[in-house]
Amino acid sequence: MDSKVTQLRHQAETEIAAVTTQQQLEEFRIKFLSRKGLIASLFDALRSVKPSEKPALGRLLNELRAHTQGLYDHKAASLESVPKRRTPMDLTLPGRRSYLGSKHPLSQTLDEIKSIFVSMGFGIADGPEIEDDYHNFEALNFPPNHPARDTQDTFFLSDKNALLRTHTSPVQIRVMEKHPPPVRIIMPGRVYRNEAISSRSYCVFYQVEGLFVDRGVTFSDLKGTLVSFIKQFYGSGLKYKFRPTFFPFTEPSADIYITCFVCGGKGCKLCKQNGWLEILGCGMVDPNVFRYVGYDAEKYTGYAFGMGVDRIALLRYGIDDIRLFYENDVRFLNQF
Amino acid sequence: MKVLQSWLQQYIEFSLPPDEFADKLSKLGLEFEGVERTGEEYNGFVVGKVLERTQHPNAEKLSICKVNVGTGTLQIVCGAPNVAAGQKVAVGMSGAIVPRNQHDPSGKPLPLSTVKIRGIESSGMICSEYELDLGKDADNILVLESNAKIGKPLAEYLGVADIVYDIETTPNRPDWLSHIGIAREIGAIVGRKPKLPKLKLKEAAIPVSKHLTVKVQDTQNCYRFAVRMICGLKVEPSPRWLQNALKGLNLRPVNSVVDVTNYVMMECGQPLHPFDYALLKGKQIIVRQTKRSSSFITLDGQERKLPDGVVMVCDAEREVSIAGVMGGANSEISDSTVDIVLESAYWNPSSIRRTSKLLGVSTDASQRFERGADPDGVLYGLNRAAQLIVDMAGGELLKGVIDIYPRKVKERFVPLRPERVNLVLGTKLTTVQTVRLLRLLDIVPTKRGSKRLMFRVPSYRVDITREIDLIEEVGRVYGYDKIEDKTTATVDFAHFFPKESHADHVREKVIGLGFCETITNSMQETKKAILGGATPARISNPQNREMDTLRTSLVPGLLDVVARNFNYGNNDLRLFEIGHVFSRDESERPKLVENFLEEQRLCLLMTGMVAPRHWGSPSTCVNIFDVKGKVIDLLEQNGLDKGKFISYSTSDSLVENRIALEINGTYGGYLGLVRAEVLNTFGIGQEVFVAELNLELLAPTDKSLYEPLPRFPKVKRDLGFIVDVGISAEGLQKSIKEFSSGLLQGIELFDVYQGDQLPAGKKSLAFSLELMSPDKTLTDAEIDTEVRNIVTHVQDRFNALLRSVERST
Repeated sequence: MDSKVTQLRHQAETEIAAVTTQQQLEEFRIKFLSRKGLIASLFDALRSVKPSEKPALGRLLNELRAHTQGLYDHKAASLESVPKRRTPMDLTLPGRRSYLGSKHPLSQTLDEIKSIFVSMGFGIADGPEIEDDYHNFEALNFPPNHPARDTQDTFFLSDKNALLRTHTSPVQIRVMEKHPPPVRIIMPGRVYRNEAISSRSYCVFYQVEGLFVDRGVTFSDLKGTLVSFIKQFYGSGLKYKFRPTFFPFTEPSADIYITCFVCGGKGCKLCKQNGWLEILGCGMVDPNVFRYVGYDAEKYTGYAFGMGVDRIALLRYGIDDIRLFYENDVRFLNQF
Repeated sequence: MKVLQSWLQQYIEFSLPPDEFADKLSKLGLEFEGVERTGEEYNGFVVGKVLERTQHPNAEKLSICKVNVGTGTLQIVCGAPNVAAGQKVAVGMSGAIVPRNQHDPSGKPLPLSTVKIRGIESSGMICSEYELDLGKDADNILVLESNAKIGKPLAEYLGVADIVYDIETTPNRPDWLSHIGIAREIGAIVGRKPKLPKLKLKEAAIPVSKHLTVKVQDTQNCYRFAVRMICGLKVEPSPRWLQNALKGLNLRPVNSVVDVTNYVMMECGQPLHPFDYALLKGKQIIVRQTKRSSSFITLDGQERKLPDGVVMVCDAEREVSIAGVMGGANSEISDSTVDIVLESAYWNPSSIRRTSKLLGVSTDASQRFERGADPDGVLYGLNRAAQLIVDMAGGELLKGVIDIYPRKVKERFVPLRPERVNLVLGTKLTTVQTVRLLRLLDIVPTKRGSKRLMFRVPSYRVDITREIDLIEEVGRVYGYDKIEDKTTATVDFAHFFPKESHADHVREKVIGLGFCETITNSMQETKKAILGGATPARISNPQNREMDTLRTSLVPGLLDVVARNFNYGNNDLRLFEIGHVFSRDESERPKLVENFLEEQRLCLLMTGMVAPRHWGSPSTCVNIFDVKGKVIDLLEQNGLDKGKFISYSTSDSLVENRIALEINGTYGGYLGLVRAEVLNTFGIGQEVFVAELNLELLAPTDKSLYEPLPRFPKVKRDLGFIVDVGISAEGLQKSIKEFSSGLLQGIELFDVYQGDQLPAGKKSLAFSLELMSPDKTLTDAEIDTEVRNIVTHVQDRFNALLRSVERST
């Protein structure tokens, strides 16, 4: 019996080597591996063997079957890989492509900013681009004769009330009018200023506004949150500073500067030689603003901040002309 | 605001290098915009002493001088007749640049080097005042004071070596618009108070009231009006130190009287105005408003139209000054002025702002008054200027001040609860610390209590009226840098607000469909804006006509983008924009602002090839069905399977082949081919297809539960019908759906044919049907019955001929 197994193994190895077509392979399978094949017949013969010899012989037969199956599989695989047609195909021909979509660099920058604040527990809100004087100025504590209310800075629609919002801050007012505290949101959006169009400025641009009002919100929280943002967005190695400034709707107010990343703080054209770039304005919500929206300024405190997205995107991608964002040349858009 | 280092140091001593000085001031909110050194044009010029003068052997008019310049003795050939041994002179050494070359017709600068003049070596130049740009005399050399120190840099000798700091100030701090104001902040840094110049006025016996009466009629806008008179003075140019100080701030010196008023304004922030007394009619000053519009010639020689209601300073007969803004030419100080009236006032800030805006004039004075000057600074400024004028121009100061103060500004007291400081700032300051910080700013407690303190605020701090204003001051002086960056935050309260806006969601999907996002200006020319069909909103103060209207549709903006890209040879475009469109609307629809309607939209645009060219596929151009397909893809991605397309022909001015889209029964936008006339106006010569959809209606439906997968196989049958060309595929398909039993799970149109093989007026439509039962595997008999019923229905209902029935896989 042992010798039969050895003999059959040799036979299978010899015959598989001669196989060159699928048909011969199939003949091989039927001859050796099918239910009525040579190996199966040996298994049939196993029944008449002495019980004491059965286990050892059984193992041998199993090995034989596995080996033969392996020979078959290997050959099958090698036959598959042989080209069926004789004419060779030029595989250097280009593949079939599709048009690729792209996200505008301003949207990408906005997304990045949003995702950082969302991860810190902020929600997202928005508001109209046509605003009224009350939401854009008055409720934000702008005095009646504030220069920002001049036609030189603001686009008005037909009268002195309806206007194109000059910042995203009116969304703060609209949200607080509707929702009691606590509120923690960012408000991205398009804003308008009556500025001459040049490589440095455009009459339309994007801002992200932030607002957090709750019991016990402090300037210290404002600093912590915005420092965390700066580190996540610009990298943790950067130096930053908070400096006092003035906004009508926050008090105390601060401008945040970071080390100029073009020159590393040595002074260059971008940072006007002083080594610092102003990137954010922020402060504690002025109690007058709370009064306008009906929040109790004794119970609640809050902070607000705002940043210009265009400027951040310019710096981030090293773009030297802001108009590229609004011209939408696909050679530009496809780079992002 | 520009300030001079030497000027600041008159009030407070500090020795900080400019960088550190800038950093310290910036911590208080005073940002440096620039630092500039003055007197650098005199680099290489020193004080020298002429030791010896001899005649030049080869030129009669030249002399050879030996000059001690401190570091050595130079031989200089000089052509001036007045040069003499023993004189102290201004020497330009080799390498220096003479500001004005007297031999050059336009006086161009001249670089110095060692040269031979008529055979004699000359190392440098002894300069005239013309050459140094200090005066007109070009013939004689400038002779310096005999006690001038040899070797001293000339800029230092002249008092022009200084540092000019250009400081950005915020509009809430008018007190920063003066040297003393900045010195006070430096005082908070160094912990000392600035010393103000002491006033020692010598008054004559005659009282000012003998020569002048003042009436304030407009007490609404004139809070305080004070005058002094100086008689018998002589108007001359100011001394050099005063001229240098003004020049350092880019102010033009005029004469001693005018220069002093400017100097005092820059010193303490109080604007002043001098009148020539001889030109004031009736020995009278009246403060009143213009009664009717008139014209007035201001100091700068400009004739200005004054509307009625402008606050003016007048004499008995006429207007002599626009209050707080600019004086008039009719009472201006001149060289022949002998007696002057000096005005120091405090005006209603909003009245000055209004006048300044009305007339389009902004002056140093108006800028200070409109932000709010110091009501208590009126007399100090007046007295300080009177003293300086008398010192410089002589004359007698008449006795007393006429001080009319109809609206007395009271001392200001502001309460502060110390625990509130920590509550807002997140600090742990004690009451003692808080008080100490405020004291640095001269804000002093008057009433103490454990919970609530009262502070007296200096009159010049017009920005401090509330507790929060004091808290800001505490934070500012304490230093923002010292406030901890607290990173623990509560994040677990219920949110009303989503984490992703709807637009963000749609944007991702559209990009996934192969479109490039664009962002275009929402202001466009009327011609384009009206293409959207709605009544547009116009901007009342547009930058130009190209941007005087708000878009009513996103399509025109995208067509501009198409035209631009065609110029650069990019003709295959898939673009989209998500943005707001605007219109005026008189209907009842709810609006946030007046009758302006604002809506967020998505616009898809396709033009050019269906797919990038490929060697293995034919090139075809996009058509309406490509856009329609993308819209369906988008709806399906958002779970909106109820979208319905309704095609109808309208007189729409923007697109033809217009298809309206209904989503859940509401109009959600349209798609179509942009009209050729429209494309022409944009210079586009290729078909462009667009879809413009209301973003709100694209809101994805919440799909919370999954549908179990069918357990039994589905069977497919293809049916081909021949029908009249007028029959709509969608109608036929819908009819089959409605007719069939529950076995029909899906139906899809896969072929449309019209042509030679068919009779005229006929077309063939082929549908693929999917049949399935949720309960069992269908038998052939069941399938055949269902198919036969459907075929019969279509034949009867649409007068159709069955062309084929096929099993498909």
